[in-house]
Amino acid sequence: MNAIEGMLTGFQVAFSIEGIMFVLIGVLVGTFIGMLPGLGPISAIAVMIPITFGMDPAPALVMMAGVYYGAIFGGSTSSILLNAPGVSGTVATAFDGYPMAQQGKAGKALAIAAISSFVGGTVSVVLLMLFAPMLSSVAISFDPPAYFALMFLGLTAITSLSEGSTIKALISAVVGFMVVTIGIDPQTGTQRFTFGNVNLLEGIDFLVIALGLFALAEVCTLIINRKDLSFDNKHKLGSLKISKEEFKEMRGPMTRQSFLGFILGVLPGAGATIASFIGYITEKRISKKPEEFGKGSVKGLAAPETANNAATSGAFVPLLSLGIPGSGTTAVMLGAFLVLGVQPGPLLMTDRPEIFWGIIASMYIGNVFLLILNLPLIPYISKILKIPRPLLISLVIMFSIIGVYAISFNTFDLYMLLLFGVVGFLMRLFSFPAPPFILAFILGGMMEQAFRQSLTISNGSFMVFVESPIALCLLILGLLSFVFPMIGYLRRSKKTKQG
Amino acid sequence: MFRTLNQRISGVLLILAIVYLLLAYQLPSFAYTEIDADVVPKGLGYILVALSIGLFFSKDSETDEQKARRKIPKKDILILLAVFAFVFVYIFFLEILGFIVTTAIFIFGCSWFLGYRKYLVGALVAILFPLFMYLTFTQFLKINLPQGILPF
Repeated sequence: MNAIEGMLTGFQVAFSIEGIMFVLIGVLVGTFIGMLPGLGPISAIAVMIPITFGMDPAPALVMMAGVYYGAIFGGSTSSILLNAPGVSGTVATAFDGYPMAQQGKAGKALAIAAISSFVGGTVSVVLLMLFAPMLSSVAISFDPPAYFALMFLGLTAITSLSEGSTIKALISAVVGFMVVTIGIDPQTGTQRFTFGNVNLLEGIDFLVIALGLFALAEVCTLIINRKDLSFDNKHKLGSLKISKEEFKEMRGPMTRQSFLGFILGVLPGAGATIASFIGYITEKRISKKPEEFGKGSVKGLAAPETANNAATSGAFVPLLSLGIPGSGTTAVMLGAFLVLGVQPGPLLMTDRPEIFWGIIASMYIGNVFLLILNLPLIPYISKILKIPRPLLISLVIMFSIIGVYAISFNTFDLYMLLLFGVVGFLMRLFSFPAPPFILAFILGGMMEQAFRQSLTISNGSFMVFVESPIALCLLILGLLSFVFPMIGYLRRSKKTKQG
Repeated sequence: MFRTLNQRISGVLLILAIVYLLLAYQLPSFAYTEIDADVVPKGLGYILVALSIGLFFSKDSETDEQKARRKIPKKDILILLAVFAFVFVYIFFLEILGFIVTTAIFIFGCSWFLGYRKYLVGALVAILFPLFMYLTFTQFLKINLPQGILPF
């Protein structure tokens, strides 16, 4: 099947009544959850997974993808109106969006954010359509050592790009990997770290980790901050109209950041947050009036909003074509695939074209829906920010409990959920980033399998990782991703010593 | 010896790593397997030992914002603990009283405890949400949730 035929199959899925309905549900839920400060796309996806149980995989995954990019789209609203980003990918949106809102131009800021998100989202889907099949055809020849090296690169990249201390990010990843070794070893059947407990034989479900480390930990933060951040009605939105001059100003950043954001999204470890910051910084650097940035600049708002949405589609390239997520959020997306019995990877395009192309095609429709939701309807939708915190907290806890119970049907997993909620909260308190943990947890099983397969092929010789040129290159890249930040760190500390 | 925060955390992690390693060394091994089930856990254990030692000697690189996150008033810590206790009780009674009853009590009680005082709205949400979720799961998705004491 070539790309055009594939795309037609995809549009058949996306334009069916079922397809359109689930895209709409996905982006709507994503927008709502993304908008709520504190709850990010990982929680949004994890909370929605139970709804897909028993559904046909194609519409279910179309919906989950919608939740993901809908959350990034919706996150900008609370960044602009409350200066409290709904998701980390929209932190940079607040830099210029919030000052604009303070000047009484909240409506305009929301409109700029919606249009640039739409452009970034749509341009990058075209790129996704072109690049994902190409990468699939390359990846089909990957052997276990190459796969191991690729996953290694994904993990090192996310740890070295995490905020704060690299060593803490590494510890987070190693502990995530340790947790996945609990249960029956799939290759030898040995029970590992189960303490004879029947409930641990199959290991800990990824929803327990995703909902515990993210949703419940976010609830703890919400409980502490439950009194601030109330959105009052006195804040007038103002007109949603954008003038011709402003539109001209947006054009440059939108074009550049669509491409740059997409590339950053494809790279392992980067993703929407980093893309939005880099987008903001590059536009500020090349701008003729950098002093306007941070005071309500149109460019400063358009750049991160285009970049974060472009990066979201970019992140689907490695997920769909390699089956390897590059970020915490796409790791949870991979979990959603696996729950539905779909293994993304190079074979997905040929084996399940309706899923591969259906997701891509649905993104065009999803972006149009998001534009409609976020432009004319935004004054009504932003009312969700007025949900009283105590009710919101109780409801999120309920959703987490249902999610885990519906997959395991026993209360043991619910106690584990509670335990990981505490772990997640402590990690936040002591600045251990959670995305490396979840990525290592999701990749861990596959990594161990690839590692042991490689060594079995080579009769135990580690040379197998060096002899394969692809594996060697990827491993070197992985190691370099550590070395570079370290050089930067050493330079900086030298400078501060000299200064 | 454990003066800074990093040093204390590294101590905890070191204990975790050693316990994990001890358990990894007790894993049974089989003949004729090139790479047995204990190889990766042992590797991970040693990596964590190395990283905890690294953390022990690393300088504190937290920003002021990250440090401020830890300054939680005592009252809020008690509230957090109480909410965790609620969730624990919720889980405990989930299969005994059933999903609808426990969830309704939990939502109403928890939001009241956290300061929500509109009783009518609270009660409506507490009854309608679990009912809607229960029907969606059992009727539409065909996933059973604990029925408990209610007849449906």
